[in-house]
Amino acid sequence: MTNLVATTAVEIAERRRGKLGAEQYAGRTRFVVERNVLALKTSNLLQVVSGFFEPLFFLLAFGFGVGQLIGQVTDASGNPVDYRTWIVPALLATSAMNGALMDATWNVYFKMHFARLYNGMLATSMGPLDVALGEIAWSLIRGAGYATAFMIVVTPLGLVPSIWGILAIPAAVLIAFGFAAVGMAATTYTHSIQQLQWISFFTLPMFMFSGTFYPITAYPAVLQTIIQALPLWQGASLIRGLTFGQIDGALLGHVLYFAIMIAGGLWLTSKRLTKLFMS
Amino acid sequence: MSDVKFSRWQGAPKLVDLDKLRWFGAFYVAEMRIRTMAKWWVTIVLNGFGNPVIYLLAIGIGVGTLVDANGGAEALGGFSYLQFLAPALLASAAMQSAMDETAFPTLRGFVWDKGFFALNATRLTGRQIAEGVLMGAYVRVILSIFFYELVLLAFNAIPLNMALPLFFSSFFAGLAWGSLILALSSNVVDDDGFISLIFRFVVMPMFLFSGTFYPLEQMPIYLQWIGWISPLWHATSLGRIMSLELSVEPWVWIMHLGFLALLAIIGRAIAFPTFERRLSK
Repeated sequence: MTNLVATTAVEIAERRRGKLGAEQYAGRTRFVVERNVLALKTSNLLQVVSGFFEPLFFLLAFGFGVGQLIGQVTDASGNPVDYRTWIVPALLATSAMNGALMDATWNVYFKMHFARLYNGMLATSMGPLDVALGEIAWSLIRGAGYATAFMIVVTPLGLVPSIWGILAIPAAVLIAFGFAAVGMAATTYTHSIQQLQWISFFTLPMFMFSGTFYPITAYPAVLQTIIQALPLWQGASLIRGLTFGQIDGALLGHVLYFAIMIAGGLWLTSKRLTKLFMS
Repeated sequence: MSDVKFSRWQGAPKLVDLDKLRWFGAFYVAEMRIRTMAKWWVTIVLNGFGNPVIYLLAIGIGVGTLVDANGGAEALGGFSYLQFLAPALLASAAMQSAMDETAFPTLRGFVWDKGFFALNATRLTGRQIAEGVLMGAYVRVILSIFFYELVLLAFNAIPLNMALPLFFSSFFAGLAWGSLILALSSNVVDDDGFISLIFRFVVMPMFLFSGTFYPLEQMPIYLQWIGWISPLWHATSLGRIMSLELSVEPWVWIMHLGFLALLAIIGRAIAFPTFERRLSK
């Protein structure tokens, strides 16, 4: 048995040797995902489905409740838009952000410090990038599920005017990927659970001010520029462009923004995991 | 015992007076809670000011501008959106603080580090511990109402003479919610994401569907019951009656106040025996 395990480990190591990033990545991400799927059995199912309800509650309250008081808003190009249609993309982007951050910060912190899961994982042939990608991949699989369910609810309500809206699902996954990568990197720097509470100091204002509830043209120009630099505005604008069918170069810019977040976050995470667990 | 003067020992702390403990035990527990909270005072102060500023800017003024510009004032009985929103945000902040300071300490005391059992190993009774946790929470509630009102006054969202009446209506909300959450969390044996579930499936819907952001009557009738059973709606209605100077029948006052009082009593009636029972195991 021991022989078999050792031989397998050597085989894996040899297969990777010489390839780019062999120290970081062993091509075994799927086993981290598998572990999470197995762990699902012992977790609270209500907790798992709750990610689906969050944007729906906000849509009901703000879209249908406050929406009755407002009626229509004017979008960036001056067209009147039904209030409910306006907030749908931002709610989808926000729920992608919240779900990804929840997994990449609180859950990762728990696994790092209480369950000591990564100590074990990184003692195998797996590299830090396998662990990071595996954790994030699992979070994204669920995120894709929530996004799909949300779109299935809002599309029949007529809140997705364009056929391009179908791309809102992969866009939500991309947004979640960006937040998860950066969130996990940030978590590797924390050393007490209280520090994680600071996350909401960034996410709540972003949620409130990123053109979620009204167009950011309501703000002075300086403030608009600051908001445009924030990831949630980028995400909400990406999804809004898709659901409204306003396909232009700006969407590529948003995608690039998240690509940079993903690359930077992953690089930092795997560097930190190496430092924390493998040296 | 009483003839041994430990307190005269060099460097010894003051000896606990057992009679005092019998009568004032809950205060000692409250003191412990307040000292624990004091460690996070930066977070408490930042939250205390940050949350109201964000909500008032984004919803009160941001969404408020849209509502007021689109004739929403008519639906709100002639008041600006900010005036309409302020009492609701205040009550909800009070309830959130009450929940933070009852749910976390109770789970910690019974499940995480089991500190309540250590407290109970002294002369402190279960009831006193529960009472002390509640008192600690009330201090935090008072603090957060105070911060919130400062911000509301700065935004001109409430008139100065309404600060005190609104203080009470929100405080009652915190009182009721705190004891309900104490009752719930004292019954948690295995913390399986309890707080996040309560937050997502009780607090969030309550926050969004209690006539906080729009009149409750605007919801379809089959959703209005959420408001009727929600302490937030009752406290918000009380707050609006006072701050918007609405004239209502006396029974409306009695209903709102009575409902909040009832919740506070039910919560205690469940929580206190639960504390006694679990600690005596």
